[in-house]
Formats: sequence, C-alpha cells, structure tokens
Amino acid sequence: MGSPKTIMTVDDAATIRKMISMTLKGAGHEVMEAVDGAAALDALKDRPVDLIISDVNMPNMDGIEMTRQLRKTATHHRTPIILLTTESAQEIKDKGRAAGATGWIVKPFKQEQLLGVLAKLFP
Amino acid sequence: MNDSLQKQLINDLLIESFEGLDRYDAHLLALEQGQSGTDVWNDIFRAIHTIKGTSGCLGLGKIEKVAHAGENLLDLLRSGSLQPDQGMISTLLRLSDALREMLRTLEAQGVEGSTDFSPLLTALQDHITPGPVAQPEASTPVEPAGFGLFDDDTADTVALKSAAPEANESSGGFGFFDAPPSSYAAASGGTGSKPAANAPGTKPAATAAPSAEIHRSAASDSAIRVDVSQLDKLMNLVGELVLARNQIVQKTVGYNDTSLTTAAQRLNIITSELQEGVMKTRMQPIGNVWSKFPRIVRDVAHELGKEVRLEMSGKDTELDRTIIEAIKDPLIHIVRNSIDHGLEGPEGRRQAGKPAEGLLSLRAFHEGGQVNIEIADDGAGINIVRVKNKAVEKGLLSADQALRMSDREALNLIFLPGFSTAAQVTNLSGRGVGMDVVKTNIEKIGGSVDLSSETGVGTTMKIKIPLTLAIIPALVVTAGGERFAIPQVSLLELVRVEREQAEKTIEYIYGAPVYRLRGQLLPLAFLKKELKLSESTHSEDATNIVVLQADGRQFGLIVDEINDTEEIVVKPLGKHLKGITCFSGATIMGDGRVALILDVLGLAQHANLIPEVNEQKQTSGRKQEESRDDRQTLLVFNVGTNTRMAIPLSMVARLEEIARNKVEKSAGQEVVQYRGQLLSLVPVAQFIPEAAGEVDAQADQDTMHVIVYTEQGRSIGLVVGQISDIVEESLAVRRDSRRQGVLGSAVIQGRVTDLLDASGVIRSFDPSFFETSLPAASNPEPVLS
Repeated sequence: MGSPKTIMTVDDAATIRKMISMTLKGAGHEVMEAVDGAAALDALKDRPVDLIISDVNMPNMDGIEMTRQLRKTATHHRTPIILLTTESAQEIKDKGRAAGATGWIVKPFKQEQLLGVLAKLFP
Repeated sequence: MNDSLQKQLINDLLIESFEGLDRYDAHLLALEQGQSGTDVWNDIFRAIHTIKGTSGCLGLGKIEKVAHAGENLLDLLRSGSLQPDQGMISTLLRLSDALREMLRTLEAQGVEGSTDFSPLLTALQDHITPGPVAQPEASTPVEPAGFGLFDDDTADTVALKSAAPEANESSGGFGFFDAPPSSYAAASGGTGSKPAANAPGTKPAATAAPSAEIHRSAASDSAIRVDVSQLDKLMNLVGELVLARNQIVQKTVGYNDTSLTTAAQRLNIITSELQEGVMKTRMQPIGNVWSKFPRIVRDVAHELGKEVRLEMSGKDTELDRTIIEAIKDPLIHIVRNSIDHGLEGPEGRRQAGKPAEGLLSLRAFHEGGQVNIEIADDGAGINIVRVKNKAVEKGLLSADQALRMSDREALNLIFLPGFSTAAQVTNLSGRGVGMDVVKTNIEKIGGSVDLSSETGVGTTMKIKIPLTLAIIPALVVTAGGERFAIPQVSLLELVRVEREQAEKTIEYIYGAPVYRLRGQLLPLAFLKKELKLSESTHSEDATNIVVLQADGRQFGLIVDEINDTEEIVVKPLGKHLKGITCFSGATIMGDGRVALILDVLGLAQHANLIPEVNEQKQTSGRKQEESRDDRQTLLVFNVGTNTRMAIPLSMVARLEEIARNKVEKSAGQEVVQYRGQLLSLVPVAQFIPEAAGEVDAQADQDTMHVIVYTEQGRSIGLVVGQISDIVEESLAVRRDSRRQGVLGSAVIQGRVTDLLDASGVIRSFDPSFFETSLPAASNPEPVLS
C-alpha cells in the first residue's frame, strides 16, 4: 500500500465508526469521523480528503443525499465515496450510482474487505 | 481483528444498542399512543438496523439474525406498505426484549445465549403480508461480506449485472459505480486531467493540517464516555482530599503564619470546588430511570385492562448515580403499585365521573438541597377503612388501635411489613416486595417517603432524597470520650440544659426519661448507655440534648459534648460490622482519627424509642405494659367532680353544648334531637368507677358538654364535664386493661391523665352501636395493646 491517506468515515453507529477507524488507523491512515451526512458535509467543507466511507441510512442526512451534495462541491467533485449498504442492496446501489458514489461495501463486512477496497482504490 | 479490539467494540456495541433499544421502545409506545410520523419510523428502523449491521460486523450471528427479521418488518412499516396495529407493536416490543436478552447474556457471559427465538421470528414474519409486498431482504439473504467499485461494471452491462451483482464479484458483495479514482477524473472530463489524488493543489492540504481538523470533527459530539469505576475512583480520591484538607485547615488554626493560613484557605476553596465538580460528573438525569417507565406502564396497564396516561416532568433533574441506582427499584415498584392499586379500571372511572384513562404523573425537582420526586395518580385514593381492616386482619394492630388511629397514621400502615391491600396479590405489584421495602430502601439512602391520599381524587407519594451520599454534612458529638458523627438530615435542634435545671426538667415516666420541650414530651436516650461506653471523666455542668428525627418521630439523644458541624466523607462499614444497626458508616476526622456515623433510625430502635418493625406485630397481644411513644392531638376534659381524662381528637366528630331542657327520654335513655336525628347521650361518668360515685359538678348548670362520636354515619353523644384543653403530646402511654372505661394513663401537661376508652364505654352503653362498623364489633371486650 502506498502513502497514508486521509479518510472520512460517516456512520451514526459509533461501533461501526470505531471499527472502521481502528482498522484504517491500524493500516497507517489518518481518519476523520462524522455522525451523519449533515455533520460530514460540515466537516468536509473546503476540506479535501482522499476517501469517504459512509453509511447510507443515517438521521439528518443519509449517505445518498450527502454524496449528491458533495458532488456539487469543487472540493469533493471527485473524491472517492464508498457507501456501506445492508438493506435492499440493489436499490441502494442504483441510487448510490445515480448520486455519484464510487463504490459500495456490503455490511456486515470484515476488516480485510475494507482494506481490499483501499487496495483497489489506491493500487 | 485482535481480541482486545473485538472486546472493546463489543462493549461499544452493548452501550450503543441498549441506548438504541430504549429509544426504540419509547418511539413505539409513542406511536401506540397515536403519535406518528415517518421520522419516528425511520428512527425505530435505524435502531434495529444499526444493531443488525454492527453485530454482523462483529460476528454476532444470532443477534444479527433476530435484528434482521425485525428490520424486514420495520422496513415495510416505515415505507408505509404496512399499517401498524397493536399486535404488531407488541411483537416489535418482544423483539427489543429478545435483543436485550441476548445483549445482556453477551455482556455477562461473552456469548449470545441459547434462547430459541424462532417463535418471535415467526411472529415477525407473520406480520409481513405475503403477496405484492416483497420482503426486501428475506429473498436476498445476507451476502458474504464484500465490496466493489461500480466501475468494474461497464456502463452498458450495468442493467444486466444488476440482476445478480454478486455473481460477478469474485470477492462478493462490493463494487464500484464508475471509474476507479485513478481514471475517474479523466473519464469525467472535469477540470484536471490528472487523478485527484495527485492534484498538486489539493494533496498537500489534505495531509498538512489533518490532526486539528480531526479533533474538530470528533468534537462534534462533545461528550465522552467515561467508565463509571473511573469516576468512583475520582470520587474516592476527592473524599480523601477533603479529609486531608480538613486536617490541614484544622492544624493551621494554631499557627500565626499568614502565608500558611492563606495557602490553607486556598486549598480549602479549591478542594470544595473540585469536590463539587467531581460530584457533578457523577450526576445523571432522573430521566435515565424514567425512560423505562412508559414501557412498564404500558405493560402493567395492558395486563390489568386499565388505560393509563403517563406524564413526566423534570426529567433533567440530576442525582448522583449511586442514588439513581438506589431509587430505581423502589420507583418502579411505586409506579406498578399506583397502576395496580391506585388507578381504577375504565369502568370504575366512568362510574366515578372521571375519564376512562387514568393519569399517572411523575415529577422531579430540586428543593432545599434535596431532590423531590412525586408520583401521583388520579385514582380512587386509599380506602382508609379497608387499610385499617386489612391491618387488623393481618394482626398488625388491634381493632381498638385501628379505631383510635388518625387517617394519616392509617395511611402509613401500608408501609408496614407484611401489608398488602390488594384483595389478591397480583403478580405485578406483589413480587415479594412490599411498600415496607420501598420505604426502607429510600430511608437507607437518607430519604423520606410521605403519602397523601384523598378519596376519589387520587394518591400522591412524595419522596425526598439527598443529592449525594458520598459527602454529607454532619454534627460531631462526643460521648464517653469517643466521637460520633450524626447526619445533619436527621438533626432538628440542639438543647442545652444547665445542671441545676436538668434535674427538674428531665423527668421519668415509668422509668423512661423524657424532657419537656416547649410543652411536649420528648423521649430521651443516653448515647453512652445505648452504646455501653465507659463513663468519662467529663464533668457535666450541663446536659446536651441533640433532638433528632427518625421515622417521623422525634427523640432526644443525650451526649457529653457537641463539637462542630463538618462535611464528612462516608466510608461504608466492613461486612462483619453491617449487623450493628446503630452505625451507618465511618469517617475520618480532621485529626486523622476515625469516627463512627450514627444511624439515627437504628439507634432509636435500639433504644426502644421507635418500635422496631417486628415489634409492631406483637403489639396486638393484650397485656403489654410497655410504654410506647405516641404523638397525638388530645382533647382533655373532666368527668364527674374532678377526674381528668383525655381522648384522641381524631375520634371527636364535634363538640356540642346542649341545653338540659332539650333532653328527652326514649326507651329509658336520654336522647336529644340533633341534626335531624336522635342522638343518644352516654353519661360517661357512670362508666368510670372513680367518677361514678361523685356528684356531677355540672348537674345544676343549664347546659352540658357533649362529645359527638361518629362511626359509619351513626353518632352518639358522650356527656362529659368541663372541656379543658386541646393538647398535642408525645405520649408515653401506660396501658392498663384492668380499669373499666380507661385505656391507660399518661402524663399530659404535667398531670397524670386517664385516656378514655370511648369505644369501650359506648359498647357497654349500646352494644349494637358498632355492629355495622369495624371488626371490633365481633370483639365484645376492648382490645388493648
């Protein structure tokens, strides 16, 4: 794996957030956290990151809407956004694709899968 | 994932899930109450969804499976494809119970447990109507974990792959939507032709100031979780610091060094502030306990077929967490009791002209350094007669005691051990815990319970508890050369009696010392005697009486010296000393020595100033000659020439002066027309042997004094001589069953006064009078206690 990345992880579930951030930090990356789409938008304003990993179903603003909003900004016009999905996977995938997301990870996932996505994104 | 991380994450999952489930329950109950909104459904859905996702990631298959089943149903509910009904909500509440059970097992044993939840899974499934509404995920079982980039699909094959996306993914379950980022920028055209990650302008910024930014975003939830044991440790340390501070402050008193005194003062102030600050971190809103109540109320109400609306105010009132823990169960019990015994069924309420839905309101607020909690219902109120009957039936008191008892005293009977008013013990309130345990538990933490009730209007229970238990203000006293701390909450006043006076003012009634305090008799106890301390060399030029309150009664404790008031840090006593009821704990004084903290209630019981709980059962025996402390309002009057007698004012319905010429004769009895009825007149003097032979001093007067006694709507008049006074006395009553017409005697206003056995006299006059009232009627003789 190449250089350390700065990664934003967005999830209302603190445990998932911690799991992702521990995994990524363990692999040498810098991790930011946000509790929902709105908080993430706020934190990511004029703040470039290398990757955003976000849950879909969240209060205040869900992952799909957040993706849509981020794509409108200059800073995150093309930041890779990976959505974590569980329910009705195909529908979410279609919505995610339409909103401009880069990829998806199906929950539940293992640490290796998470790192696998990074390996694919940053070869 | 290594073990410690897994453990940590499971711990997080537990906290997060319990919180989520509490919210889930609260929302469901609100929905059942008719509130609605898609937001609420989303929140409910999300709680289960989060548990499912997180438990899945942590390899907790069983929890995931159950949560998943619930999620399917909830998904249909939140999208509006299904309309909720009560059965559905009950099933959904069972779901949270099941999840809680597994989480608890996980917490305690590290595994998910072996309970079979397939009936629940079936029930959840049954609510999902088969047919046009697809089961979103039931048909696509949880895929093996995976990920992917959409870009792996080329645009024109997307539709095809959509049908079976996983089949194409060797790694399963993931994908990319478009080009991977390295080619994303190029493919999308955009501003730069280089991949974003390599764009010169953005990259350095991305790594330049990350840490500050990270802090800011993480701080968006500005609260952190701290292990409770950590706080307990801090509290302990602060306690030690307070002690050290006390020692330093005390030691510096003798010094003339200004800089040392100043430093000590600063230390004093800072320690106090630190103490307050640490105390605050341990504070929790009472809402944490109350959040469980909507569910409890719902379940209890459903089971009993009652309709109950729960209102809560003052949820944010904060209390030390140890106190929260201590009052949790008592509160739950009281709430259950209120619904079970307090509120009537819908039919009963309608008949009483009240709305079918009963109201149970909880209120919490700070007042005078204490926390007040009120639990009120608008039910039928407590039926005093039933309470009395029940107590008599259970042998907790005699029929005669019941007759003489004031309403307020009777209300407190429900706090007696072994008392339960429910006609049959339901499985709800009667869980082996009575109100006595509730009361004991609250008193154990220095609180008090007060009950008031109005027939037909409702019952209110008021609980007062201290803010914290760890550090309390106390009075330090000396007895027999030892120092003792007395918690300030039980302290009423201090009385100092000079030696010359002491001999006169401390009297003995049947061997029990009493002090006349503002016209009232205060039973006394000598601390030295109670604790069997050696006589000190202390020269007594005065007697120090500490007036204390325990269990609603006052008594005086005589000590050698009264030292000071001090903030003391309560240290619990070791297990082997727990059996000693006179002490509630220990503390370390300013000079480093240990002082025991007196348990005022225990001490009063030890000194026989307050009947111990078990003793009360024995009082139904007949020939007890022990003196008992009874605080009552009494009517004092004369009978015959000069026999002084008293009767509890609670037994007096009215006092009348009746003109002698209005008296008529009927069936050999004297009667008078009174409020449209015939009132029989009982010449009391004839029933008192001492007065019987005496000439009625009032006989030549135009009017006579009549005490009207009313029982169950029937009245009878007791003709007495002069009415002399109404007094409130702490009575040390000497029971005496051998004298006719007399219950016993006591010292009232410095004179020996007989207590009139009103019911006994009435019964000898007219045996039929009590026939329709209390069980006393079946007992021809007065039962004495």
